Amino acid sequence: MTSEDIPHFLIFVLFASLVTRFAAVRRRVERDLLLSRNELEREVMERTQQASLLNLTHDSIFVRDMDFGITYWNRGAQELYGWTPEKAIGKRSHELLHTTFPEPLEEIRAELLRTGRWEGELKRAKANGAEVLVASRWSLSRDEREQPAAVLETSNDITERKRREKEVHDLNQELAKRSTDLETANKELEAFAYSVSHDLRAPLRHMDGYAELLQKRASSALDDKSRRYMTMILEASKQMGNLIDDLLAFSKLGRAETNKTMVNLEQLVKEALSEVRQETGGRNIAWRIGALPICYGDRSMLRLVLVNLLSNAVKFTRRQPQAEIEVGSAGEGGNEVVVFVRDNGAGFDMRYVNKLFGVFQRLHQTEAFEGTGIGLATVQRIVHRHGGRAWAEGLVDKGATFYFSLSKPEESNS
Amino acid sequence: MSTMGRILMVEDDPKDVELTLTALEEYNLANEVVVTRDGEEALDYLYCRGNFTTRSNGNPAVLLLDLKLPKVDGLEVLRQIKSDQKLKMIPVVVLTSSHEEKDMVASYSRGVNAYVVKPVDFHEFVNAIKELGMFWAVINEPPPGTLRKT
Repeated sequence: MTSEDIPHFLIFVLFASLVTRFAAVRRRVERDLLLSRNELEREVMERTQQASLLNLTHDSIFVRDMDFGITYWNRGAQELYGWTPEKAIGKRSHELLHTTFPEPLEEIRAELLRTGRWEGELKRAKANGAEVLVASRWSLSRDEREQPAAVLETSNDITERKRREKEVHDLNQELAKRSTDLETANKELEAFAYSVSHDLRAPLRHMDGYAELLQKRASSALDDKSRRYMTMILEASKQMGNLIDDLLAFSKLGRAETNKTMVNLEQLVKEALSEVRQETGGRNIAWRIGALPICYGDRSMLRLVLVNLLSNAVKFTRRQPQAEIEVGSAGEGGNEVVVFVRDNGAGFDMRYVNKLFGVFQRLHQTEAFEGTGIGLATVQRIVHRHGGRAWAEGLVDKGATFYFSLSKPEESNS
Repeated sequence: MSTMGRILMVEDDPKDVELTLTALEEYNLANEVVVTRDGEEALDYLYCRGNFTTRSNGNPAVLLLDLKLPKVDGLEVLRQIKSDQKLKMIPVVVLTSSHEEKDMVASYSRGVNAYVVKPVDFHEFVNAIKELGMFWAVINEPPPGTLRKT
C-alpha cells in the first residue's frame, strides 16, 4: 500500500462505516415502522371490535359532528329509524329524522357545551314516515385541543311506553270524572231523599190535619156521601204518608254502608219469626224451618229480607184454613247458598213474575191484601247489594216460593 | 194545673203554626205560647232585642224548634242557645218533619233535650203536641229564672 493509497483506504473505511451506520438506522426505522403498523392494526381491530360491540346493543347509537353530520350509525339506529348506515352517514341527523326538540336548540347546545351532556325526549320520524318518541342522551366528545368534536347520541324508543302512560292517565281522568259524577248523583239522591222526607211530608201533614179538623167541625152537618169523601181524603193522605215512608226507607237502604260479618241464618230466621208472629193474630200456621247455612253478609239487612219474606208469606196465606210456611236451604251450588221461603197462600200468575220485585208493584188488589208494594223491592235490593239474586215461583191459589242466593263465606271453601 | 211555663215556638210554616196551636188549644195549653217565625226572631226574643225589647224578662219553659227556618236555621239557633251561659238551661225540643239521621245526630251533638218528628197522621200529631206541651210546660220543673204563669 503506497502513501497515495492511504486516502483511498480512509475513504473506503469511512464509506464502510457509513454503510454500516445507515443499515443500523434503516433497521431501526424499519422496526419503528413495523411497530407503528402493528399499533395501527391493533387500534383498527380494537375500534372495529368496539363498533361491532356497539352494534350488539338494542339502543340506537350514532355519532355526529358538531354540525349534525352523521359519522357513525349502529344497528340499533338502523332498527329504530329504518335507515341503513349507508343512507344515514353523511346526512344531517335532525334533517334525516325530522327531529322536534323539546326546547330551543340553542339551549340544548349551550347545555351540551357547558356540561358535556344533554338528556331529553325527542319526537322523530322513521324512514317510513311513522312517528317515534325517543328518550335521547347526548355526550360530547372533545379533540386533543379540547375543542368540541363530536356528539354520541344514544336513544331508545319510548313510543309504546308513552302511549301506555297516556292511556293510564286518560283512564285515571275518566275514573276521576266518573267518581265525581257518582258523588254528584249520590248528593242529588240524598238531597232528593231529604226533600221527600221534609218538604213533601209537611203539606201532607197539613192536608191530613185540616181535613181532620174539617171533619170534626162539619161532620154532623154533612150527608153520608160528603162524609165518605172526607174519609177518602184522609185515607189517601195516610196512604201517601206510607208510600213516602217506604220510599225513604228504600232509598236509605241503597245509601247505607253494608257491614258484613258471618251470619247464622237459622238464628236470623228465629228472630224474624218472632217479629212476624205478632202479625199472625193467633192464626193457625204450620211453620217448618229447615236447616240453614251460615253465610256472609250484613246482619240487619238480611234480617229485613227474612222479615219481609216471612211477613209476605203470613199475609198471603191469610185465607188458607191451614196455612203452611216453610223456610229452608235449596242446596249449595258452587260458591253460593240458596234460601227459600215457601207458602201455600194466594200465589201469583207466573206471567207477571218480573213485575214482582219492582218498587210499588202489586199483583193483588189492595182490598184483598194491603201493602204499598215495597217489600220485595227491598228484598231484591238487599240481595243485589250482597251480590246475590232473588227470584220466585208461584201458581195462582197454589202458593209461592221465594228464593234468594248469597255468596258463601270464604272460610267454608278451605 | 197550678203553674204553666211559657212555650216559645219557632216555626216558619203558618199552617204548622195553626195546627200546632189548635192542638195545644184543645188541651188549654195555647195561652202561654209565643210564636216566632224564623231563627233570627227567636234569638231576638231570647235576647230581648228587636221587637222584644219590652218583654218581661226570663226564659221560656221550653223551646219548640223547627230545623228548616229562614235566615238563621234551627241548628244554628240551637248552637247559640247551648253555648250561652244564660240560655243553655232552656230545654229545647226539635220539632221537625225530618227523619234524617244526620239532622238527629247534629241536634243531639249540639245538646238538644228532645227530638220529635212531626207525625203525618193528624191524631198522632195532636197527641205528640199535647204530650210535649203537657210535659215541658206543666209537668217538668224548669230551671230557675223561667217564665211561669201561676
